[in-house]
Amino acid sequence: MSLWVDKYRPTSLAKLDYHKEQANQLKNLVQCGDFPHLLVYGPSGAGKKTRIMCLLRELYGAGVEKLRIEHQSITTPSKKKLEINTIASNYHLEVNPSDAGNSDRVVIQELIKTVAQSQQIQSSAQREFKVVLLTEVDRLTKDAQHALRRTMEKYMATCRLILCCNSTSKVIAPIRSRCLAVRVPLPSVEEVCSVLSGVCRKEGLLLPPELAKQIAEKSGRNLRKALLMCEACRVQQYPFSPDQDIPETDWEVYLRETANAIVSQQSPQRLLEVRARLYELLTHCISPEVIMKGLVTELLSNCDGHLKAEVAQMAAYYEHRLQLGNKAIYHLEAFVAKFMAIYKKFMEDGLGNFMF
Amino acid sequence: MDIRRFFTSTKPVAQKASNGSTSTSTDEEQKKKQKSRPKVKSSTSDEKPSGKRKKRVIVDSDSEEEKKVKTKKSTKETSTIPTEKKHPVTYVSDSDSDGTFETLKKPKPKENGTAKGKKESDSGKAKQVKVSSSKSPVKSPSTVKGGVKSSQPTISPKVAPTPPKQMPTSVMAFFGSSSVQRSEKKMVASSSTKRKAPLETDESLSDEAIAKELQMDEDKELEKQIHDDEEFARTLAMLDDAPLPKKARVDSISPSKSSSQAIASDIKPKKDLSPKTSPVKTSSKLAQMKRRQEERDEQGKKDKGEKQIKISPKKEPISPTSSERAATPKTASASAGMAKSRNLSTPKSESVASKTSPTKPENTSPDDLEKKRANSSAYRSYLNREGPRALGSKDIPQGEENCLEGCVFVLTGVLESMERDEAKSLIERYGGKVTGNVSRKTTYLVLGRDSGVSKTEKAESFGTKIINEDELLDLIRTKPGKKSKYEIAAEAENKSSKTRTPDSRGKVASSAKKATPQGPSPNKRSSSGGKSKPGSASKSGARGASCSEVKKSLSFDQTKTASPVSHSAPENDGSSLLWVDKYRPRSLKNLIGQQGDQSCANKLLRWLQSWHKHHSGNAKAPAPKFGKFGSKDDGSGFKAALLSGPPGVGKTTTAALVCEELGYSYVEMNASCTRSKNSLKEVIAESLNNTSIKNFYTGASQTVSSKHVLIMDEVDGMAGNEDRGGIQEMIGLIKQSKIPIICMCNDRNHQKIRSLANYCYDLRFQRPRVEQIKGAMMSIAFKEGLKIPPPALNEVILASNQDIRQVLHNLSMWSAKDKVMTYDQAKADANNAKKDMKLGPFDVCRKVFALGEETAHMSLIDKSDLFFHDYSLAPLFVQENYLHVRPAAAGGNLKSHLVLLSKTADSICDGDLVDRQIRSKQTWSLLPTQAIYASVLPGELMRGYMSQFPNFPSWLGKFSSSGKHSRIIQELASHMSLKTLSSKEAVNLDYLPYLRSAVLKPLQSLGSEGANQSVKLMDDYDIIKEDVDNMMEISTWDGQPDPYSKLDSKVKAAFTRAYNKESHLTPYSLQVVKKSRKGAVDPELLGELDNESQVQEEEEDDGLGADAMIKQKKSKPAKETKPAKDVKKEKPGPSGKGKGRGKGKAKN
Repeated sequence: MSLWVDKYRPTSLAKLDYHKEQANQLKNLVQCGDFPHLLVYGPSGAGKKTRIMCLLRELYGAGVEKLRIEHQSITTPSKKKLEINTIASNYHLEVNPSDAGNSDRVVIQELIKTVAQSQQIQSSAQREFKVVLLTEVDRLTKDAQHALRRTMEKYMATCRLILCCNSTSKVIAPIRSRCLAVRVPLPSVEEVCSVLSGVCRKEGLLLPPELAKQIAEKSGRNLRKALLMCEACRVQQYPFSPDQDIPETDWEVYLRETANAIVSQQSPQRLLEVRARLYELLTHCISPEVIMKGLVTELLSNCDGHLKAEVAQMAAYYEHRLQLGNKAIYHLEAFVAKFMAIYKKFMEDGLGNFMF
Repeated sequence: MDIRRFFTSTKPVAQKASNGSTSTSTDEEQKKKQKSRPKVKSSTSDEKPSGKRKKRVIVDSDSEEEKKVKTKKSTKETSTIPTEKKHPVTYVSDSDSDGTFETLKKPKPKENGTAKGKKESDSGKAKQVKVSSSKSPVKSPSTVKGGVKSSQPTISPKVAPTPPKQMPTSVMAFFGSSSVQRSEKKMVASSSTKRKAPLETDESLSDEAIAKELQMDEDKELEKQIHDDEEFARTLAMLDDAPLPKKARVDSISPSKSSSQAIASDIKPKKDLSPKTSPVKTSSKLAQMKRRQEERDEQGKKDKGEKQIKISPKKEPISPTSSERAATPKTASASAGMAKSRNLSTPKSESVASKTSPTKPENTSPDDLEKKRANSSAYRSYLNREGPRALGSKDIPQGEENCLEGCVFVLTGVLESMERDEAKSLIERYGGKVTGNVSRKTTYLVLGRDSGVSKTEKAESFGTKIINEDELLDLIRTKPGKKSKYEIAAEAENKSSKTRTPDSRGKVASSAKKATPQGPSPNKRSSSGGKSKPGSASKSGARGASCSEVKKSLSFDQTKTASPVSHSAPENDGSSLLWVDKYRPRSLKNLIGQQGDQSCANKLLRWLQSWHKHHSGNAKAPAPKFGKFGSKDDGSGFKAALLSGPPGVGKTTTAALVCEELGYSYVEMNASCTRSKNSLKEVIAESLNNTSIKNFYTGASQTVSSKHVLIMDEVDGMAGNEDRGGIQEMIGLIKQSKIPIICMCNDRNHQKIRSLANYCYDLRFQRPRVEQIKGAMMSIAFKEGLKIPPPALNEVILASNQDIRQVLHNLSMWSAKDKVMTYDQAKADANNAKKDMKLGPFDVCRKVFALGEETAHMSLIDKSDLFFHDYSLAPLFVQENYLHVRPAAAGGNLKSHLVLLSKTADSICDGDLVDRQIRSKQTWSLLPTQAIYASVLPGELMRGYMSQFPNFPSWLGKFSSSGKHSRIIQELASHMSLKTLSSKEAVNLDYLPYLRSAVLKPLQSLGSEGANQSVKLMDDYDIIKEDVDNMMEISTWDGQPDPYSKLDSKVKAAFTRAYNKESHLTPYSLQVVKKSRKGAVDPELLGELDNESQVQEEEEDDGLGADAMIKQKKSKPAKETKPAKDVKKEKPGPSGKGKGRGKGKAKN
């Protein structure tokens, strides 16, 4: 009994529910034999990983679905031991080098090199190359990315890389140029709805289209989330009612409350409270980018016309600095403080204008 | 200027010795001053053993203070009526005042005999009460007599003044013997006085002899004495500067002082007391005073009467003048109007004062609330008080030198054109004094904006002149300059040094005479040894020094570093020496801050003295080192002493001097010697059993003495490879030593010293207090011809953190440039030389945002230096606390406050960006930039009031907890990764909330029946029970209880049971998990997990990966505990096989 999202995950390119054209292209890519390095990117919940797994199955057959988790231990040049989890089948290896933090370069250098250097021995394999799947490539340090460059070219004969990331902006250009970039966009609302109703049909449930649409919108077209929400709705109440309350995640609620707290009052005390809330979010490992995005979305909905532009610009500015800095809380707090200052001024001036 | 006049007049008069009236009077005064002042000093030295002594001392100082006022007053009078002054009979103006005063006073003394005790008892002054209680037997006769005598003055103005003057002598005469008797009550006192008695005769004899010898120069000698005294007096007078305001404050507070009459009465008895109590106290100085007076009696009894008459008028006006001074400062310039004004002022102040004191309590009791509210609002407004509005708008005038001398200022409110600090230093520069509270002594109250109400009221009540800022500046502009009293002192010093050379003997004798009975040292010695005095005398005799010199060396004013010996010696050969060496204390008495009976020096002395007594007999059977009762007290059980204390307080000097004093020769080993185990063994072990023949050879001693001491200096420096095992060896040596060992270190609690400290008599040196150092420094400064104003010296001492050595070095360095140091210069230099103090992060944080004087003069460098106190912590503190600051710049406006906050936050962000650059690229040169962004700019923007104590940065805690959560999530994600195929973040954001509810839902809805369902789900996602717990932990928000804990315990138990019923196969090895949380999981569970994984591994693969095997062995003590379970559980699931095989392959 898995969650729906995993239970009904498509396992072959043919079974994919949307972006079928892209699926076809990938299939052709596999069949024509010349398989390049791939850079798969797209927002979370769009189905990148699913698509990659389908692609791998297309490459190697069902054997690729026999996954195992391995612990690899790597010794850095400074004699530091690194432990990293990898997921592997007989044909491929999935690594998330950013798990190793700052030492991800060593992971790239040691692990991938050793894998890439070894030849495929199994004669039954259709392919003479193995695939190394690197996830969260956009989290790699620049050093690691540079280490990757040469490896990609040198071991082309025995190894293909599939890089998976959310955004290409943090992947250095040399790597981008060495890969075939495949963008996996989010499914449209309709596609989400169709997937949801399809899943429900398989479960033997009847999903009202209104609710499906609502879920799709609420999930931000993140299919994974939509499916999880849908299942939560099922657990909460069945039969579905079209205007049913869709359960949200705690952190979303908390983030929205935080944004409301900012709008409702602007004072140093409130800023202190907001800081505490931001800390709470951060300690729950909600990434600062997500927090920032959530805040801005909420705040913008409370802003007036020309203030919106200013706030958006401000948010971009602080988000950028957040990437450059060390301590996310500083920047989030600075953003909140700035917003409070601007908002207070705006409100008072507006009030003043109103009175005169 | 008054004092100067005094001196100019004294010179010729003294030489003639015919008139002698004024000179002797000054003499008398000087002596009096001297008499009382050293006491002030002694009171400041905290080592004074007897509490009684201290109390008395306070009284003395009080009276002394009055006297000083009086002298000033009297000198003022002399300035106004110079002709009259000389005539003993013509005190027209004085008698006037005396008359009034006397009439006022008259009833009082009469009462005095009876009502004195009462008055004193109802006077809230603790000192007086104490004095009265302790000295009651002595006092009662004296007061009676005082009463009798004071009743006399009414008869004639001439006689009137006499009684107080005569008091000391008469008391001396009458109670000369009785005092000794009385003193027997106190052991210390008695011993000293008794011992003194024979000595005195000797001395007086010798003195007389000298006096005869030098009869020709007697007057000169007298004058010299004066100078000598002056030197003391001045240095001491400077000491008085600090305590003065405090006392004044006490006065003003005490209800007993409600009327000036009361004050007068208070002063009177005090004055009376001081001489009378002296014998009891055995204050050496008083005794010496007595002796001198006796001498003088012998020399010229006729003169005395005159002198006394002359002096007394000066004394008389004390009480009125003191009150008058408070009431009408500076205005009493005209002599004619003086009497009147005095008359007027006294009752006025009286009435006002009496009014204020009762009103205060009345006010507080009924209108308590109101007043509180008013106070709080006042405080609030005080907090929001702006700084000076027009800083630097007014020209600071160039006044004449010392034009404000003798004026006491109180600043209140905000001055418009300058900061409080500036104003203070301006006043101090011109010789004025700035105190914190308004008292009777206060000459001016400088009133600024938003001034404190209480100060103004008080000033009005005292009749203090209230001026504003402009008037203050005018005052500086217009007031005539005076010669500073320090300059005068210095001049006098020069003069005396010129005249000194010919008859130094006489002077020496007199000083010695003066000094011998002083100080606790004789007492100590007599109490300990009894015959030590003659011993020392004989010793000195052996040395062949003259009698007078001996005395001198043995006894000089204790608080001086530079005894005459040390002083004269450097004159010969000290030119090339550092001051520190030049003025190194040459005897135990000269040590700064080591004079008390319980001082370290004396403890060490006693310990060393009795060392052989305690340890020689034990040569055969070594006595038990410690555990002996009371061994802590005198250290008799210890064979070694450990002196510890900060640098520059005189540890080494003390040790050396103590050895010298007791005739020990010493071997010193310091950090420059190699002190490893072996070398210690070789070098010292031998010498410890040796006897010294040095004295024998040099002829100083007739016997071979075994009296030597090993001084191990800087034992905390015994470290490193060079001195390996040194401490241990040291301890071994101490155990079997036959000679005393003195160890020294700075930090007694240092790890290295701790073991050693167990074997040593622990003596901890404290830093001497500022006053103690100041006195000594002042005299050295004079000896070096360096003119430095005492407030500046204060700064210098404080800046060096009361390190005597450094103070001396600093003075020496600065004096090389210029012999005359101005206040400004000294202050600036002192600031430069300020020892770098390490601030804690909390202090740094407070200081970053602090407003006002503390930070007003900090340069940019100073501000960024704050950051560098701890550059990793300071930015965190700033960030944590800037929200708690109420910036002054915002002025309470919320909008601008928010703008400031935003700017500050931006700056802190910039600091963070720089920090990132520094840490990631090791560009540490950017640290100053970070200092500006992370500390200075926020401080500048937010400068204001912090409403609370700075918080410790929460970032650190949050960071670590988020790190922990992130590890948990990563683990979860990796456990689930086969199923979810998603990244950590996706797991956290999307899966966890829903997965949690999916696991819990069956339990919540179905209770125990749902357990299996939940376990199934867990198995599907390859998560273990522990993961569920973690999941619950990280999905709670704001401390709300997680839904799992809300479950019924029965359900929970069912869930656990269901989970434990079957083994769960996981695609991942659990070793890593265990390893990371070995301590956290209960062993039962651990064992089970182990079993599980073992089962899995055993059945599926024989050739386990070597690494996994090793790990398993390491962390598997529980494996054998449940072999039965192992067997039971061997039923692998079909899916597990595939996985397991894969795993096995991978491992191979």
